[in-house]
Amino acid sequence: MGVRADSKTDSAAGGDRRPTKHMVHVKTKEECRLGTVTIQVWTVEMPSKHAEGVLKVIKENIEGHDAVDLQHLRRFAKPKFLPPHVLGDRDLAKELHAIPRAWETRRPAVLQHPNSRWEWATPGKVPRQENRAPTLYLMVCPSSVIGLQDLRSLLLQHPPFASGADSWAYPLVIKEVTVPRMAPTCLEQAAEWSEAYWPTFYRKTNPFGAHPSTIDKAKNELESPTEGNVSIEQVMEMADQAGLATEKAGLGIRTGCVVVERVDSKTEIIAVAGDARLRLPPSAGGSPVPSSGFDASPDDSFLAEGTEDADVPSVGSEKTASKAKRKKLRKKRNKALKAAEGTESNGCSSGNVMAHAVMRAIGMVGRKRLRVASHMISSAAAKAESNFTRVGLEHDEDARDAFFLDMPLTPLEQEYFQVNNLKPDGYLCLKLEIFLTHEPCMMCSMALVHSRVGRVIFANRMPRTGGLTAETVRNDTGPIGLGYGLCWRKELNWQFMCWEWTSAAYAMEQKARQERHTAIMQQKGRRRNVEEAATVTAAGGEIDDDADEDTDMAPDQPDMDDDDDNANAGKLSFTSVHV
Amino acid sequence: MVFGPIPNREYHEGHMRKAIEMAELALASDETPVGCVFVHQGEVIGRGINGTNASLNGTRHAEFVALAEIMAKHPPSILRETDLYVTVEPCIMCASALRQYRIRAVYFGCLNDRFGGCGGVMTVHSDPGLDPLYPVYGGLYREEAIMLLRKFYVQENNKAPDPKPKKNRELKTEILPISTPQVATPTVGTPTSEIAGLSLGKAGRAKSPVKAG
Repeated sequence: MGVRADSKTDSAAGGDRRPTKHMVHVKTKEECRLGTVTIQVWTVEMPSKHAEGVLKVIKENIEGHDAVDLQHLRRFAKPKFLPPHVLGDRDLAKELHAIPRAWETRRPAVLQHPNSRWEWATPGKVPRQENRAPTLYLMVCPSSVIGLQDLRSLLLQHPPFASGADSWAYPLVIKEVTVPRMAPTCLEQAAEWSEAYWPTFYRKTNPFGAHPSTIDKAKNELESPTEGNVSIEQVMEMADQAGLATEKAGLGIRTGCVVVERVDSKTEIIAVAGDARLRLPPSAGGSPVPSSGFDASPDDSFLAEGTEDADVPSVGSEKTASKAKRKKLRKKRNKALKAAEGTESNGCSSGNVMAHAVMRAIGMVGRKRLRVASHMISSAAAKAESNFTRVGLEHDEDARDAFFLDMPLTPLEQEYFQVNNLKPDGYLCLKLEIFLTHEPCMMCSMALVHSRVGRVIFANRMPRTGGLTAETVRNDTGPIGLGYGLCWRKELNWQFMCWEWTSAAYAMEQKARQERHTAIMQQKGRRRNVEEAATVTAAGGEIDDDADEDTDMAPDQPDMDDDDDNANAGKLSFTSVHV
Repeated sequence: MVFGPIPNREYHEGHMRKAIEMAELALASDETPVGCVFVHQGEVIGRGINGTNASLNGTRHAEFVALAEIMAKHPPSILRETDLYVTVEPCIMCASALRQYRIRAVYFGCLNDRFGGCGGVMTVHSDPGLDPLYPVYGGLYREEAIMLLRKFYVQENNKAPDPKPKKNRELKTEILPISTPQVATPTVGTPTSEIAGLSLGKAGRAKSPVKAG
């Protein structure tokens, strides 16, 4: 199994090419939840030959026995797979007397296989257990559904508990046990719960996040792009370049966002945006954004917002500006910003919040949609626009643009903004893919939810400001953050898949954990296979099969040290910034 | 306590009335009936209605539209002495933006049980975080705010990818009293369904392109 896991990883990486980063799926809020929600259920032990009969009695007589979804738990469990507290004290004396009944389950001696033990030949060495008719534990139903007395009197009316040949050896013993209420989210959890509570399945479905196969498909599309499509390395690099460009121009910090549309397995880069929070607001002398015909002459354009004359986009006049003047302008702008912010600013809410890279990119998508819209859509939008004047709002488009900054500010942004490559008449950012240098702040995270994005990949976690990750307690998937987990919240009306694009060191650590885990599971599987009498092996086999494919859900290992928390954490250039 | 007593309630109702008027105008123009005003030293410095349909941008909420108007004339720091009056509780996105801009206080009409960020679904205004918290007061002209939304949502939404026929919907006028949700604890509890009278199906909600708040 370990071998299979390795070969899979290699093929995904494209042979000898070694990508430095990997996509690691971000755990959802529910996957990160701390405690286990449990529920009390009745169990009863019975000879296995009566199992179906008793289950039928329960199904026919107990209303609401299946009202609570406990599909993740085995209905019948062999005693050897149950934790000791469920088995409780066994009446060994009675079991001793049950020995003579062994003939019921064995073939006649003359037909016995030559290799099998002859009972009469070595009577003293036959373990008592083997002679006992096999029993099963049945999970009856949640104990809230039926009272103990009612259940007892019901079961006493039916075999094997009704007075009869078997009843003396199998007295009715009903126990209340605690079992996990929710399905496990990964293999390790299932194994853990099986040992602690009751045999539990991991069905490779995930009620608390995207389906694992959907995640795998998306991951594969991004990490192994087909001919002509952009790879995740390229897009992530472009996002960084977008941030670098606005930072160099003094417009913002080095964070960036790229929006990609995937139609019929073909990728198109829709929008590229860097952070522009430091661009002067119009109230402080910031010029309106050039609304069209952006001339890709970077320095001039970048400096346009520093000019005193707010009305002139001044491409020409700035050409003569000396370096000293530029410096002076920048200084002046910083000063204005400081004044605007107040002296106690700790840098976490600096500048124009609306010009975070994500907000700008979403705005650019909207603008592009308007541009490529059919007549019907564009006239509807124009009508909506006219509402602003109808309700008496000031209709200052320049001021609005200067605030939202959803127009290109750098040549890189312009290059992709000007192309009409968006599928016409789409809806918001429905199912678009968002690539980010940093985990976005709450505002931007919720903006992604509002915009109905499909996939989000970010490079750096922002534990103090990020809104997408859900870790509120120390676990193996990342550092403790704010715990909002906005990428997948049932409470909200949209969820999307989200990955962390993380360094090879971290990914390798994950892989090592994975291998450790696989080894453990193999061991367990072997042990089980030895024990299991080839009948009800379904559970064990299922768990083993899953073990080598379960790469996104890292097992919980206690031997974590701080460095493991997140390889990306060290690379943050700013930790207390809303991105 | 989001629905706690509001000191000097009449003063705040005066400003909320202006927000309600904005929402009414929006409804008359087939726009989501959410209105807001920002008030600085007793004076309205910014007003807004949703701009999502005009911009095809799902984030262009009333608060943001109003902020754009403010920023045209004032530095961002003015928001530290400014209060927001909005007919519907700010959404999670707006709640975070307002906190980053350091709004002084927020007054709203009804809760937003779909994505409210000030007690409806989450409590972004008071959760631990880098930026200072801001106080939130709800319930000003709550019934009117709810009725405006109900009137809007009985209409069909042709912009949704899969518009739901709503011919059989009727406008309910009964408004349940506030049953305060556990707003003190973040991200838990089932919030009161403020616009529950809509009898909106889950799918219908999910597809709505315009957002309250």
